[in-house]
Amino acid sequence: MTTRVTSVLRFARRRLFATPLDAAITLACCWAMARLIEPLARWLVIDATFRGTTRADCTGAGACWVFIRARLGQFIYGFYPADQRWRVDLVAALLIACAALLAIKPLPRRGTLAAGLAAILPPLVLFLFYGGFGLPVVETRDWGGLMLTLFIAIYAGLVAVPLGILLALGRQSRLPAIRTLAVMFIEFWRGVPIIAVIFLASLILPLIVPSGIGVDRLARAVIGLALVIAAYMSEAVRGGLQAIPKGQHEAATALGLRYPATTVLIVLPQALRIALPAMTNEFIALLKNTSLVLIVSILDLLGVAQAALADPAWVGMTLEAYVFAGTIYWLLCFALSRASLRLERRAALR
Amino acid sequence: MSILNNRRVRDVFWQVAVWAAVVGLLAYFVRNASDNMAKAGIASGFEFLGRTSGIELPFLLTGYTAQSSILDLLWAGVVNTMTVALVAVVAATLLGFALGIARLSHNWLLASLAGAYVEVVRNIPVLFFVLFWYFAVIAALPGPREAIDIFAIAFLSNRGLTVPTPQAIGAFAAAALASAISIAAQIAIAAWARRRRDRSGRGFPLWTSGAVLIAGVPLVAFAAAIATTPWDIPVLRGFNYRGGFVLIPEFVALVAALATYAAAFIAEIVRGGILAVPKGQLEAARALGLGSGQVLRLVVIPQALRVMVPPLTSQYLNVLKNSSLGAAIGFPELMNVFVGSALNITGQAVEIIAITLAIYLVIGLAVSALMNWYNAKIALVTQ
Repeated sequence: MTTRVTSVLRFARRRLFATPLDAAITLACCWAMARLIEPLARWLVIDATFRGTTRADCTGAGACWVFIRARLGQFIYGFYPADQRWRVDLVAALLIACAALLAIKPLPRRGTLAAGLAAILPPLVLFLFYGGFGLPVVETRDWGGLMLTLFIAIYAGLVAVPLGILLALGRQSRLPAIRTLAVMFIEFWRGVPIIAVIFLASLILPLIVPSGIGVDRLARAVIGLALVIAAYMSEAVRGGLQAIPKGQHEAATALGLRYPATTVLIVLPQALRIALPAMTNEFIALLKNTSLVLIVSILDLLGVAQAALADPAWVGMTLEAYVFAGTIYWLLCFALSRASLRLERRAALR
Repeated sequence: MSILNNRRVRDVFWQVAVWAAVVGLLAYFVRNASDNMAKAGIASGFEFLGRTSGIELPFLLTGYTAQSSILDLLWAGVVNTMTVALVAVVAATLLGFALGIARLSHNWLLASLAGAYVEVVRNIPVLFFVLFWYFAVIAALPGPREAIDIFAIAFLSNRGLTVPTPQAIGAFAAAALASAISIAAQIAIAAWARRRRDRSGRGFPLWTSGAVLIAGVPLVAFAAAIATTPWDIPVLRGFNYRGGFVLIPEFVALVAALATYAAAFIAEIVRGGILAVPKGQLEAARALGLGSGQVLRLVVIPQALRVMVPPLTSQYLNVLKNSSLGAAIGFPELMNVFVGSALNITGQAVEIIAITLAIYLVIGLAVSALMNWYNAKIALVTQ
């Protein structure tokens, strides 16, 4: 016990009170924290209202979490009809089950299974969300909230990853004309604001398809985001490609492999493993940037929070709505960034 | 058969094929677009730029009025975008450097607090920051009568930040001229000192002369200009302020959001840059007998800057691009006035989006070119 006390004291002396200036900094930090934490704790917990059903129940000076409880359905499902929400729950359960299945290390043929699921799941999820073939149709304008945020991030990612790999290969190509094309494409999308691209997609996409074909509003936003993220993703993949020693290419050529076989069998498996942490970081950026679809009035998590503020029955819930939505974004992105760090460490150990 | 296996033939074939496919696809899109636009009766061409806009803007730095042309509207939007981005970049750099250095502090509490800030901010969407600052922070400020006053010359309220404005700019022009001359003098002295050192090995207190000529003279000149110029200081009259210039709440919220968001990323860049200087460099510098100030100036900063400049450039460009989020809260920047208002009047989506994207690309390329030039320069210095 004494050793613990002395070690704490030694830590305090070395890292908190080493010099008079250090002591002053520590005390200033403590004072600032006290000034900040006290009102924050009061608002968040001590003076907050947790029980009740309506605005009238919120009489305390703190936050009104009743509002979040009353609106929880909307925050998660948007305006998805209440009697159809089981479909979204089913998808969530399905995805968790698949992820758990793939997490089992000794499972035989894990790679094949993962590839099979990656091929089957996206259309299946789309069918469950949208409906048809006997299920009642739920139009995409009724989708919203957290469900939509994750939907946009994952589907834009599904387009962006393969496209990004192609672009990175193009940029590393031996052929100058293909290299130029890839560089132009990448630098163009990286050089413009994402909301400009979302506008571009929502205004121009309907124009450039043959007349009579409509492009769904949500699909336009997903395509716009995917194009930008593909450009960023390709830079992450390029980092991996550049880390592959030249000897690997030469050895593959010496074995008689042509470019496609060398790329698919030798280069990409190694490069993607190296690029995975950087690609995860791009996916985090994508998840954060899905919030920009708000600009074309698609109500994802942040959009639903914003829309909820206009409800006359719940006036003055601005902080509550933002704090709740912000916390969910933070939890998702923080978990992903930890995962990316772990991948990085594992790659460094290899 | 041999011609099909010829590498050069195959190379040419693939390049031509890919370009042909891309050009073909683009041509197909353009044809569809012109068909669709003809059917919908949408005009094309850039004549609309000369038309009267008829839009009032709440935040103006140019001579634009509602009777001006759409081209003037575009220019007002560009100026607003550049202003927001510039102010936010300066604020984010100051805050980011402070946070990055705090994160490396020997003081555990300070380092942890800076780390917590970075981890919280980096994992939240930037649009969240913009909306939060606008709807939750600025909107919750007291009204003009109970405004927070900053040294009794600027006032922050839910109507924005009211700042004093100079009534004449002659003194400022003179100060700028004096600063330019003194900076040019320092550059000339540096060149002369380097030649003399190469020739005779005699040193020259360049940093002292630099402190006087680059920081001292402009500081004194501008301080004198500020003191001698008559200022229009805002005063409370009834329910609002009279005089000064009002930075509207949208401007304040956008700058605050962009700066607090980008600062977290800049802090990481600063920390990475300083950590990237190998420990051996510090030890070697100390072994040579350099003082701690000299170690910092001659060894750490030049090498850290070299690592920091490329990622800083992309952060600055991110600030520029993210300033387009002003459209979400109604700040009249490029996206808002052009893709928002001008598109509403004219309906010419293709031209308007093309112009907007082109402007962002041109500004972005210009900033990249400038930072690349600077990067090349500091890379040479450290060799």
